[in-house]
Amino acid sequence: MSITDRLKEILYQRYLVWLCRPARLSRHLRSVLPGPITPAAVDRKKIRAAALQIELKLYKDPLDYADEMHRRVKEAYEAGAQLVAFPEYNNLPLFGLLPGIDKMEEVYGQNIEEGPGNDAVNSISLADIFSFMTPAVSPFIEVLYSAMARAYGIYIMAGSYPLAEKDGLVNRSFLYGPDGRLIGSQDKVHLLPVEAEWQLKRGSSFSHFDTSLGRLAIPVCMDATYYETFRILESRQVDIVILPIANLEEYNYWLALRGIWPRVQESVLYGIKSALVGSLAGFTFTGRAGIFAPLEITAKCDGILAEVERSDSEAMAVADLDLDALHQLRRNHPWRDHNPALFRRDRKDLSS
Amino acid sequence: MRVAALTLAGLEMNSLENYRKSLLALLQQTGANLAVLPAYSSVLIGFSTGNLPPRQKFKDIMHDPPFEYGEWLKTFLDLSASIARELKIYLVPGSYFNRESGCSFHSACCFDPEGNMISKQKQTHLTREEREAGLSRGEELNLFTVGDLKAGLIIGNDARHPETGRILALKGADLVLHCGALEAGFNCWPQAAGIWAQVQQNQFWAVEAQLSGKLAGRIFSAAPIIHGPCEITPGQSGYMARGYPDNSYASAWLDEPARRNLIKKYPLLQFLNPEAYGELN
Repeated sequence: MSITDRLKEILYQRYLVWLCRPARLSRHLRSVLPGPITPAAVDRKKIRAAALQIELKLYKDPLDYADEMHRRVKEAYEAGAQLVAFPEYNNLPLFGLLPGIDKMEEVYGQNIEEGPGNDAVNSISLADIFSFMTPAVSPFIEVLYSAMARAYGIYIMAGSYPLAEKDGLVNRSFLYGPDGRLIGSQDKVHLLPVEAEWQLKRGSSFSHFDTSLGRLAIPVCMDATYYETFRILESRQVDIVILPIANLEEYNYWLALRGIWPRVQESVLYGIKSALVGSLAGFTFTGRAGIFAPLEITAKCDGILAEVERSDSEAMAVADLDLDALHQLRRNHPWRDHNPALFRRDRKDLSS
Repeated sequence: MRVAALTLAGLEMNSLENYRKSLLALLQQTGANLAVLPAYSSVLIGFSTGNLPPRQKFKDIMHDPPFEYGEWLKTFLDLSASIARELKIYLVPGSYFNRESGCSFHSACCFDPEGNMISKQKQTHLTREEREAGLSRGEELNLFTVGDLKAGLIIGNDARHPETGRILALKGADLVLHCGALEAGFNCWPQAAGIWAQVQQNQFWAVEAQLSGKLAGRIFSAAPIIHGPCEITPGQSGYMARGYPDNSYASAWLDEPARRNLIKKYPLLQFLNPEAYGELN
């Protein structure tokens, strides 16, 4: 990269930081958000959750993105939700702030199998863009989701965001409380092959958070492909797992079933799946947001409390979670068992 | 390799000889090199052929199974070995109760085409009912060779515990053979939450045999299924073949090069993150 190009890059990054500056966003939010609403009383037998399906659109102004996310939070709040979940890669809509993004989309779109052609775009990966945008995006999303959680007195799982850390890029989800406080975050522990190619740094542990809605955890997408994630969370008595996804594949019912649904059945907890759908830069995301429970405590014994109909457009799934029913099932579970001796032997065998 | 999962539906069981004849005919009809029978097969056949005294309640079978041990179990296993030998197939004859060191187990085994028992497996995770009945858990899961494939057995309630499939997969399983029996009146979802889910997160094949019929007052009904990773199955469903509970069997050819190619392209187990699993036990 020439000195001129590097200088342009730095200047543009500073422009993005300026455009996304918290003071500008806060000023805007003060004019659109309601005054802080007192959180609704928690009924352990009826915790209403909303899983959002966000349709990917690009925004030229970050305040338009904020307005859109606010529209979805308001919609969920008006549906009675005390807990709202956003999807994985929830900063992709902010790629619209980049000059020439349309061109990049065209190039990637034509060459999705082989990668982009011989072009300036050639050497730029999505990971590069996430890193480039982190200084602007990171404070922006913190202010946005914190303010919305506080304004509506609800819990918001803000989705996940690839963000540059000192030692690499991480895919991190965030949970905000009804007082606007950041309750915690979780780095994605299991990567997609493409994320591994981007040299994303994977998380090395799972977190859980005690809240007035029960014990929550917020692993990310592929973490639900591996039973180990949910088994660990179950062993910590987690009640609700909130999973942001952005599935990079054409929608197929069975392919989509492979994530959170079987994990909820194996590990006896509630699961909330929020999905990003739509296309960008040749990548197509599909999914169906939903709220899942063990077969034994769903009306049709199908493990589904609510699931949106469409896999490619905006939607919202809303359902009530009954923590007492979940705990009752755990206490008297008909088939769950634990075999530490098998595990010990297995570890010994595999390590040898 | 062609595999078949049986339900025992429609087999003649009024005598051991008739059972043998009708099972031989059915197995020939499937054309399978490997066949799996469902859980509780030995008890059902024992009752139906008059080799075991009948029981009114299913729970009595587990609470008081000693009648199962000894002569009948030997007869059942000898019969199974002879069928495997006669058809020159691998045969998992379903499950049985056995005793070892004073403990009762729910177990299954596999015979090779020469009629040799090449693997024995105890169920490792018990239902509440099985625990209350005093059954004990097996403490290991082992692989054995079936043609060019490495196989493992998953019995009954082990299907719902993903630890079993993962242990077998990490040991190198290409194929899992399941002897199942699910009570009627539910739907397809327990099977999806069981072996189907295990196949998808481990990328192996599975032959899921499910019992269809009435046993000591309890009705069992679930579909016989041949599973594979979604990407290499029709409609990306994860099902190579899926029968109805009243079908006698489901069968399919396993395209092993396709499975290996899938794993080469997307090696799911390579993306495990053991660093994060320290507290699993």
